[in-house]
Amino acid sequence: MKKTAQLGLIVLLTIVSTIWVGCSDDMPNTDKTPNDQFDRSAMLEHWADGFIIPGYQSYLEAIDSMDAKAERFVADPNISRLNDLRNNYRFAYNAWQEVSMFEIGKAEELALRNQTNIYPTNREEILGNIISETYNLELPSTIDQQGFPAIEFLIYAVSATDLLIVDQFKSNDAYKAYLTNLTSRMTSLTREVYTNWTSGYRETFIADAGSSASSSVNRMVNDFLFYYERFLRAGKIAIPAGVFSGTPLANNVEALYTPAPTLNKSLYINALTSFKNFFEGTSKYIGNGPSLTAYLGYIQILTSGANISHAIETAIDNAIEVSNGLDNDLNRQVEVDNSKMLATYDALQVVTVLMKTDMLSALNVSVDYVDADGD
Amino acid sequence: MKTLQNIIFAILVIGLASCEDVDMTKTTVTAPAKYQFERNGASTVSFSGQTTRIMMAEELVSALSDFDQSVESLNKMYANMDALGNDVAPFSQDALNISTKSVRSKVAASNDLFNTNAVEGSAIKAQLATWMDAQINEVATNQDVLAAPGVAGQIADGTKTRYLNAYGLEYNQAVSKSLIGGLMLDQIVNNYLSNTVLDDEDNRAENDNELTEEAQSYTTMEHKWDEAYGYLFGTADATDALGTIGQGDSFLNKYLGRVNGDSDFSTIALDIYNAFKLGRAAIVAKDYTLRDQQANILKGLLSDVIGVRAVYYLQQSKIQLDSNKGGAFHGLSEGYGFIYSLRFARATNSTDALFSREEVDGFISTLMGDGSNGLWDVTPTTLDQISEDIAAKFDFTVAHAAE
Repeated sequence: MKKTAQLGLIVLLTIVSTIWVGCSDDMPNTDKTPNDQFDRSAMLEHWADGFIIPGYQSYLEAIDSMDAKAERFVADPNISRLNDLRNNYRFAYNAWQEVSMFEIGKAEELALRNQTNIYPTNREEILGNIISETYNLELPSTIDQQGFPAIEFLIYAVSATDLLIVDQFKSNDAYKAYLTNLTSRMTSLTREVYTNWTSGYRETFIADAGSSASSSVNRMVNDFLFYYERFLRAGKIAIPAGVFSGTPLANNVEALYTPAPTLNKSLYINALTSFKNFFEGTSKYIGNGPSLTAYLGYIQILTSGANISHAIETAIDNAIEVSNGLDNDLNRQVEVDNSKMLATYDALQVVTVLMKTDMLSALNVSVDYVDADGD
Repeated sequence: MKTLQNIIFAILVIGLASCEDVDMTKTTVTAPAKYQFERNGASTVSFSGQTTRIMMAEELVSALSDFDQSVESLNKMYANMDALGNDVAPFSQDALNISTKSVRSKVAASNDLFNTNAVEGSAIKAQLATWMDAQINEVATNQDVLAAPGVAGQIADGTKTRYLNAYGLEYNQAVSKSLIGGLMLDQIVNNYLSNTVLDDEDNRAENDNELTEEAQSYTTMEHKWDEAYGYLFGTADATDALGTIGQGDSFLNKYLGRVNGDSDFSTIALDIYNAFKLGRAAIVAKDYTLRDQQANILKGLLSDVIGVRAVYYLQQSKIQLDSNKGGAFHGLSEGYGFIYSLRFARATNSTDALFSREEVDGFISTLMGDGSNGLWDVTPTTLDQISEDIAAKFDFTVAHAAE
């Protein structure tokens, strides 16, 4: 009797554990929150349809238009067409801030962000390329010679005055070719990314709804956090403020050459707001839907844990509030009163810590990017 | 004269020892708070030759990333002389140009491993020169080409650009990480901490007798120990060598700092620093048993640094093989150099090397041999296999080293 009972228990345990293992489509990560039944597919669908695909579509329209304006300008360089191009550049640069964080799939494969927005741009190399007319923008070593920062240099700062800029393009075909090479390269890369999403990758992305390290949610969370740390927090604020170098680097701000109304603060605020909207699931295209706040809320109830999403939202709101107090020209802000930049960094850093420790732990996601060796 | 002194001294020591038999075990040597030792008010610590060589090595590895260099200019920095043996001035700092020391002469040049093994020693010296040559003739010539299997050129690693040979290897990483073993570790563990060097000639009798070197404040044995210390701390902040671990150079100091940052090895820098101090204090106190104990600790722990980093890079690169090829190649190139450096690791309590030439060459050919294009073809299984084989020789596991 006793033996039979033992045997029965073993059989039962075996069955239970088999079912338990069978429930999860991926091997690891189930031990911490074994009952995590959050609908990841629905979240992935909201990300794809509410942010990524419409975001790329808007951005692609903006740079397509910028490319057309650049062609129009080089066909007959004059002040009016130059200003037309500049306005389009401003608009497109803003649209980029809403999609820069989605470096996954084709965008990751093509390294879209590196070829779109590496600053400070390399003026000497750009001018060297124009003079030599031999350059290969596909080389990784040329990422600081292309994208928005390079275009900005060409249309705002390549000569001392607007008239001289126009003259430079009028009298020099190599300038014309370089400018349109830059704009057309951006559109072709982005078109490739967008087309990939609309011709099958959306479905692959949504279907990969498990919780393994290579699943869509885990990778997107990592990419999103990597973007925040390196490109939003560090690139836009910490590096010009000199947080890592010890000395402020005012000329490392984004959109350094764009004159009043200066662009860098609005680009930064737009990036931070877009980051928050994605975290909360607030799509300007299709309205609210499930995102990380919902997922964290679900985990909170499941584990009777802390209200992490509230803490993060509060921290982001605080960062936005602190950021609103910055000068419209971040270059001037660094030079006049860098302490405000440092305070902004501190506010952004609170978000980093909350996300990297509390959020990742709650979602049972491991960091998949390694800290650079520094060499 | 000196011999007579030694004999008299030896008799005295024997006499004293026989009187003190009961107290022998009670002798306690205390290490100072910092690596500072004095005699008659003057410091006895000196390792300027090591500082010079570390600084030369720094300039050399920086120059490897400068494609305006030539094979000739790199060789001059390596050997601090030209091909005919004439004096040259290849460095940016006068102090280095004036010096007659060089990096090359001390690569694979330890007493224990290479004194009667000049064949291998000169092959290693030449191997590093071959990599430098190839950096110019294979990689610099292809600097504006996209790297591909079988094609040297550049590849992105995040926002950085890496320059590879046709097999995915960065020669500059191979050279600089091989120097950590071939210059720093080899000189420390197989030379200056070796009994054959510490106790060479009359070193013991002179030290017992506090006979200092001519015009110097230190005995030969003290100086040998300092020279070992200098290959790790020679360019470190002397006021806080331990607190600034990792910041001293781009070589052994840097990577001891990295290993120390891994929670599995969080006391290794302290243990090494303490062993250097206590061993040096033991020499002052003429306690050679204690000195040898500390030397053995150092041989083991410093060899661990190489082993841990070799495994670390293989494991970290494995994670990036699909997601960031450029990052994986960069890590594997560092790992390649650390594997090459394993040849200089020391077996604990032994005069032997931990790995034979054949074993190290075997790891390298396995790493590069999954297909015809070297690192482009390497599989996670191969990286795990090499990691396990390396870790098996040490007292840590692959998991310990991996993060």
